[in-house]
Amino acid sequence: MRIRFASRIALGMIAVLVAISISLAGCGNKQGETYSGTVKLSGSTTVLPLALEAANRFMERHSSVTVDVQGGGSSVGITQVKEGVVDIGNSSRELKKDENDGSLVDHKIALDVVVVVVHPDIPVDNLSKEQVKDIFTGKITNWKEVGGPDAAIVVVVRDKASGTREMFDEHALEKKESAKNAIECNSNGLVRETVSSTKNSIGYISLGYLNKSIKAVKYNGVEANLETAKSHTYTLTRYLHMFTKGEPSGAVKGFIDYVLSSEFQNEVVAKEYIPMQSI
Amino acid sequence: MKATRVDRIATFFFWILGMISVGILFIIVGEIFARGLFIALKPSFFLGKPEAMKEGGGILPMIVSSIYLAVLTLLISLPLSLGAAIYLAEYSRGGKITRFIRFCADSLSSLPSIVFGLFGLAIFVVRLGWGYCLISGAFTLALLNLPTLMRSAEESLKSVPKTYREASLSLGASRWTTVRQVVVPSSLPGIITGTVLSIGRIMGESAALIFTTGTFIRKIPLNPFQTAAPLAVNIWYTQSEALVPDYRNIVNGGAAFLLLMVLVVNLVARYIGKFYRRRKGLS
Amino acid sequence: MLSISGPSLFIKQAMDYLRSIRKRELHIKVLLMICASVTFVGLLLIFIFVFRESLPAFTRLGLPNLFSTHWNPDVSHPEAGNYGMLPFVVGTLYTTLGGLLVGAPLGIGSAIFIDQIAPPKIGTAIGRGIELIASIPSVVIGWFGLTLLVPMIGRLTDTSGFGILAASLVLGVMVLPTIAALSLESLRALPSELKEAAYGMGATRWQTIYKVLLPAARRGVLVAVILGMGRAIGEAMAVQMVIGNSRQLTFSLTNGTSTLAARIVTDMGESSGVFRSALFAQGLILLILAMLLILTIRLVSREKKETVR
Repeated sequence: MRIRFASRIALGMIAVLVAISISLAGCGNKQGETYSGTVKLSGSTTVLPLALEAANRFMERHSSVTVDVQGGGSSVGITQVKEGVVDIGNSSRELKKDENDGSLVDHKIALDVVVVVVHPDIPVDNLSKEQVKDIFTGKITNWKEVGGPDAAIVVVVRDKASGTREMFDEHALEKKESAKNAIECNSNGLVRETVSSTKNSIGYISLGYLNKSIKAVKYNGVEANLETAKSHTYTLTRYLHMFTKGEPSGAVKGFIDYVLSSEFQNEVVAKEYIPMQSI
Repeated sequence: MKATRVDRIATFFFWILGMISVGILFIIVGEIFARGLFIALKPSFFLGKPEAMKEGGGILPMIVSSIYLAVLTLLISLPLSLGAAIYLAEYSRGGKITRFIRFCADSLSSLPSIVFGLFGLAIFVVRLGWGYCLISGAFTLALLNLPTLMRSAEESLKSVPKTYREASLSLGASRWTTVRQVVVPSSLPGIITGTVLSIGRIMGESAALIFTTGTFIRKIPLNPFQTAAPLAVNIWYTQSEALVPDYRNIVNGGAAFLLLMVLVVNLVARYIGKFYRRRKGLS
Repeated sequence: MLSISGPSLFIKQAMDYLRSIRKRELHIKVLLMICASVTFVGLLLIFIFVFRESLPAFTRLGLPNLFSTHWNPDVSHPEAGNYGMLPFVVGTLYTTLGGLLVGAPLGIGSAIFIDQIAPPKIGTAIGRGIELIASIPSVVIGWFGLTLLVPMIGRLTDTSGFGILAASLVLGVMVLPTIAALSLESLRALPSELKEAAYGMGATRWQTIYKVLLPAARRGVLVAVILGMGRAIGEAMAVQMVIGNSRQLTFSLTNGTSTLAARIVTDMGESSGVFRSALFAQGLILLILAMLLILTIRLVSREKKETVR
C-alpha cells in the first residue's frame, strides 16, 4: 500500500477550495437588473412571515439580489441595524427612548392586531380587561372564576423579547408581570399550536395567525377584526416597522419600496394585517 | 432453592431492561418513520424549495446545508485532529504534555454543545463579523468534533503493530516518512470509520448551530459565508415558528429524512469497519 | 554522478541531505504540536469568550440579581430587569436527576444483560441497537417527546403535559446509550477469572452479578453515570421543546419550568445588552458544571488506579 496520504488530502482540499471559488465567481452579478447585492434583515418574529414573503417575491423579480431574512425579535433587529450587521431591522414596537439616537429611519409597514385565544373546548366567549389581566398575571387560576368549567387555567405567553409580549404586557397587563408558571413560546405559531393542543389553555397571538384550531375571545366585549381595529374600538393594536440606518438606498430602498407597494400591501399584508394605505 | 428463585427473577428482570432499551429505539424510529417517511421520500419534498408562508414547501436547501456543513467542518477538523493524533501517538508517547492535551480534549468533549454555540456566536458571528453563515458553524463544529475525531484517530494509530514502525525505521526511513507511508495507511480504516461517524454527529447537531449558521433559507447556499439552515436546525425552527400551515408535515418529513441520513451514515461506518476487518483477517 | 565530483563532495551532499531531513522532521514535529495544542487553545478561547460576554452581567447586575429566584428580563431597559437564574439551575439539576433515574437503571441493566445473560447474538444485536439510540439527533427526540410524550402526560395527569417529567423522560433516553456503552466496557474489562471463581464457588448468576461483578466494576459504572450526567446537564434542544420554558422555581413533576440550556435557546436569539450577557452567564455556569464533572471523573478514575495497585 503506497498511498501518499498527505498529498491526497492536500489534493482533495485544493479541489474543494477550487470548487468553492468557482461557485463564488458563479454568483457574481448578472447584467440587466436594476438592483443587485444583498439585503439583510433581522428582527421581530411578527414581521418575519411578511419579510420572508417579500424577500421571495423581490428575489424573483431581481434575480441578482439576495435577500436574507432572519428572526431574532424586535430588540435584536434594532440592535443589529444600528450595528450595521443587517440593513433592515424589523420591529413590532416603537423605538425606546434610549434606542432612539436619531440614526434610524422608521418605515411603518402594517398595523397589527393582537387577539386573546383559548382552547376550543373552553365555553368562554368574552373576557373583560380586568379578567384578562388577572388570568395572565396569575391572580385568577381557575376557569370557573370567569364562567368556565372547574379546571386550572394553563397560561401560554410569548418570550420576553417579543414585541407581541411587550405590547400585551403594556396594554393588557398594565406593565404587571405575567404569571410565573406560564408556558413560554418563541413565536405566534407555537402559541397557537400549544393552545390548540393543550386543554384549558389561554394565550394571545397576532390576528393573522387565527385559525379554526383555536378560539378567539372578545376583549372587553369587542371582537378583534380589521374593522374594530381601524376604528380604534379594539385596543390591542400596534404598528409593524422596518428600520434602516439613515435613508435607504439601492437594493435596500428597492426592497422597502416593494414592501410598501400597493401590490404587496394588498396581496400579502392585507391577509393578516391592516395595510398602510387604508389607515 | 431460594437463591435460584431470586436468580430466575433477576434474570427475567434483566431481560425486561434489555428489551425496554431496544424497545425505545424501535418506538422512536418506528414512530418517526411511520409519520414522516412517506413525506420524506417524495421528490417534491426532499428536492423541493422551502416555503416561508404557504404550504407544500420542501427541504432541499436544508439538506445541502447539512452536507456542505459536514464537508467544511471536516476540512477544518480532520487535518487538525489527524495531526494532533499523530503527535500524541507517534511523537510524544506519555509525558506531561500528552497528559495535559488529553485533559483538554476530555474537557472539550464534555462541554455541552450549547456552550459551543455561545462561543461560536461570540467569536465568529459577532467578533469576526462573519454573521450567521456556514463557515461560522463549521468552525464551531470543528472544535466540537475535534476531541472525538482525535481520540478515534489516535486509537487506530496505536493499534498499528510496533514491528511495522521498527521495520520501516530500520530501512532508514525517517520518522515522518514512517508515519506517512506505513503507520497512517495501515490505520486508515479506523480513521475513516471515525470520520464517517462524525459526519453523522455533525448532521444531527443543532444546539451549537442555531446561533451560528442561521435557521431558514430558500436558496441553496453556495458560498460558505452565506447564511444556511442545516436540516436539524431547521426542524427546530419550523416547529418553534409553526409558520406554514403544514408545518407538522414538514417537521415530520424533515425529522424522518434526518433520521434516515444519520442511520445510513452510521451503517456505512459500521460496514466500512467490518469490511476492513475482514480484509485484514484474510491477508 | 556522485563519484565524479569526488568523495568529499559526496559526503557533503549526504550531510546536507541528512540535515535537510532533520530540519524537515523538526518542522513537521512543530506543526504536529500546533495541531495538538488546538484543543488547549480552543478550550481557553471558549472560557475567555464566554466569560468576557458574561462579565457585564456580573458587574452591572451583580451576583444578588443573577442568583435570585426572580427571572423577569426587561427588554427596553435591560438593566432594570431581574435575571435570577436559580429556578433554571434547580431545573437543570432536577431534570438531570430525573433523566438519570430513568436512564441509569436501563443503561446499567442493559449492559449487565448484554454481558452476562443474553445469548451472544441477541446481546450484540441489542448492544448495536442501544448504540444507535446515541445517533438519533436531539431535535428528533425532542419532536417525538413534544408530539407523543407531552400529550400523553397531559392526559394522564390532567395538566398541560409540559414540564419536568417530560424533560426527564427525554433525557433518560439520551443518557441511556452513554451509560450502557461505558458500563458494558467496564464489565467487559473485568478478568474472566473473577466470574469463573464466583461460579466455581457455587454462586448463582444473580449472586455473581450482584456480589462480585458490580462491586468490581463500580468505578467504571460510576464514571459512566457521571458522563451520562454531563450529557443531561447540557442538553438544550430536546429539553427546550418539552419543558414548557416557564420561569418558576418548582419541584412538581408536572409543572413547567426551564433549564439553563433551554433558557439560552429560548431567549438568546431575541436578547441584547445585559439580557444577553445574563444568558452568557448561564452558559458560564453550565461550563463550570461540566468542568466539575470532568474533574470528578478524574478523581474517581485516579482512585481506581491506586486501588488496583
